[in-house]
Amino acid sequence: MADTIDAYSIQNWLESCPQSYLMDTEYGHGPEEKEPDFILDNEVVLEETIKATVQLVVGERCALSASSGLINAAPDEASRRFLATQTLDEARHVEVFTHRLYDLGVKKQDLEGTIQRYANPNLVKFAEILLEKVDRKDFVSGVVGQNIVLEGMAFSVFEMMHAMNEPVNAKFAHTLSGTIADERRHVGFGENRIGSLIQQHPEKRPEVEQMQKEMSYFMLATFADAFRNNQTANELEAAGIERPHSEYQGVDLGTMEPEEMEQVLADTVLKEFKTRLGRIGIEYQTPARP
Amino acid sequence: MGTAPVREVHDLEHERFLEEVHSFEFWFHSVEGYLSGTTYGHREETVDDSPSGAVDRQHLITVLSNYCIGEMAALEGASGLIAIAPNQLTKIFLSTQVADEGRHLEVLLHRMRDLGVKYPAQEADRRASRGLKQFRHELLRLVQGRDWEAAIFAQNVILESLEFAVFRAHAEGADPVTKEILDGIIKDERRHIGFGENELGRRLHAAPHVRTRLARVREELDHLILDMLEDSSREIGVEPDRKAELARAYLQSVERLGFT
Amino acid sequence: MVDPLQSPEEVEGRTERRRFVLEETGFDEVPKRYRKFYRKWRGPGDQLGPNEAICPVCKVVIRSSRELWPGDRLYCMPCMSRLVVVESADGTLEARVSY
Repeated sequence: MADTIDAYSIQNWLESCPQSYLMDTEYGHGPEEKEPDFILDNEVVLEETIKATVQLVVGERCALSASSGLINAAPDEASRRFLATQTLDEARHVEVFTHRLYDLGVKKQDLEGTIQRYANPNLVKFAEILLEKVDRKDFVSGVVGQNIVLEGMAFSVFEMMHAMNEPVNAKFAHTLSGTIADERRHVGFGENRIGSLIQQHPEKRPEVEQMQKEMSYFMLATFADAFRNNQTANELEAAGIERPHSEYQGVDLGTMEPEEMEQVLADTVLKEFKTRLGRIGIEYQTPARP
Repeated sequence: MGTAPVREVHDLEHERFLEEVHSFEFWFHSVEGYLSGTTYGHREETVDDSPSGAVDRQHLITVLSNYCIGEMAALEGASGLIAIAPNQLTKIFLSTQVADEGRHLEVLLHRMRDLGVKYPAQEADRRASRGLKQFRHELLRLVQGRDWEAAIFAQNVILESLEFAVFRAHAEGADPVTKEILDGIIKDERRHIGFGENELGRRLHAAPHVRTRLARVREELDHLILDMLEDSSREIGVEPDRKAELARAYLQSVERLGFT
Repeated sequence: MVDPLQSPEEVEGRTERRRFVLEETGFDEVPKRYRKFYRKWRGPGDQLGPNEAICPVCKVVIRSSRELWPGDRLYCMPCMSRLVVVESADGTLEARVSY
């Protein structure tokens, strides 16, 4: 038990983040790193990039509300303190992705308007399902929804984005690698802490499974909107810019159509859900495909 | 803001200043200054000269128990406040406060463990004063009632000012490890009381009618605070003439906001 | 209307402010690039320089690279307060919180 408490401690957070991968960063990246010209100079690519970044801000705002809201529902001190560090991580993510919007040219006074204009309604519904559980102080559902479903999705999305950005956008890849490192702790907490709580509260299973099914549906709908209507690939092709041949889950993203990329991401996330949920004793529910 | 040298910080536009000080980046580089090289709030090499006599040791454990419950209330309060914070910047600042409060609770519980307490959270709950527990209850009631001004007043002005005053007084005569732990906490508290006072000050300036409601909250909480101050002064061995000084430190912040 | 936070150009006939080169004094509660603007207050016997004021909220000494005059704006980063320099009844300068 002592090891578990230490892993959830703020001391552990201080040693893992400030004294490690966040050292010498500024808003999540190196002070000299900049967004590349092929994004800033092309109106269509720029708008798509802003749109994608808005979804990250929306997701992280939801994570911030959920992790802070769960602190007062936590049944033990170690969980409370872990969630305190997670709250801080999520706030940092909100901040770094917001700063990316500024770096992409969004004016500070237009931030909320830009978020409202581009926030995907399916992602908003996804968030609402989770936040309803948090509002009711339902710790088990809240942590599964937050640390397994939301964080599991974010983990895979960030990994895919990282693979796509690493060869062409060192700045954003750097930001993403820091957030991925944070997500590792969050999904780990979700599995380890909730595994034992589910055993103590087997009656919670049906409700948690239904929540996973609903959240998964809106997640897939968000992916569908994000990939199917995305003009970035066409625009880069028209401009004669070759897409990088990044590898993700064993496939070459540089040669795939957006719909194929959507499929790879959706399959990866759902497979992860199934594995993680199985480990904590929750039966994965296949969502409808939008 | 970048890492470039700053010629004159006081020339910043106010909005830019607030954006800077409420950010994660600011918090991160601030705590780095005084927390790096520490473990559970103190340097490894600091000699643990904690009271060896059973009575003094038990006394210190009781004092730390009260601090733990105060920090627990602050952690619960700050995390609950995020949901009702009026904008993103404020939410981000409160997230740093949540981490600060969680850290305080952690280092204090750890200190109790160092002093031989096997289950510090339970022991803290058992030993803490009734007034403090009542205050915790009242604070959470305000947070759950989604009353932003009243909750910020209770948490970041009243509770934090009290802690600031008591911790400073205690640190002066504490053993070296406890002193280092308290000094680190005091540095965090500066941000919290400053945030509360300035946030409320701006709001009272823009909406003076809020003052009547807050005066009522203060009236409800004042007797608890003064009782807590009395208990704390006795526990940490504050001389009678310094007791008034402690009370003044607390009262000054509420007076600056126009509550007499 | 005159912004009370703007520095006046003249105070009692003096038009030139003294300038100060600030150096770090070991204050570690704000990011490195801001540390030279603050120092610890050493208690009632601590003599403040003409470019220094005590923050009434958190009791840290705030420093400026120029001599302080009434009406000047100061920021206390450790407690995130905006202050304005005023002349107190005894003729000394003090900082007051400006919400």
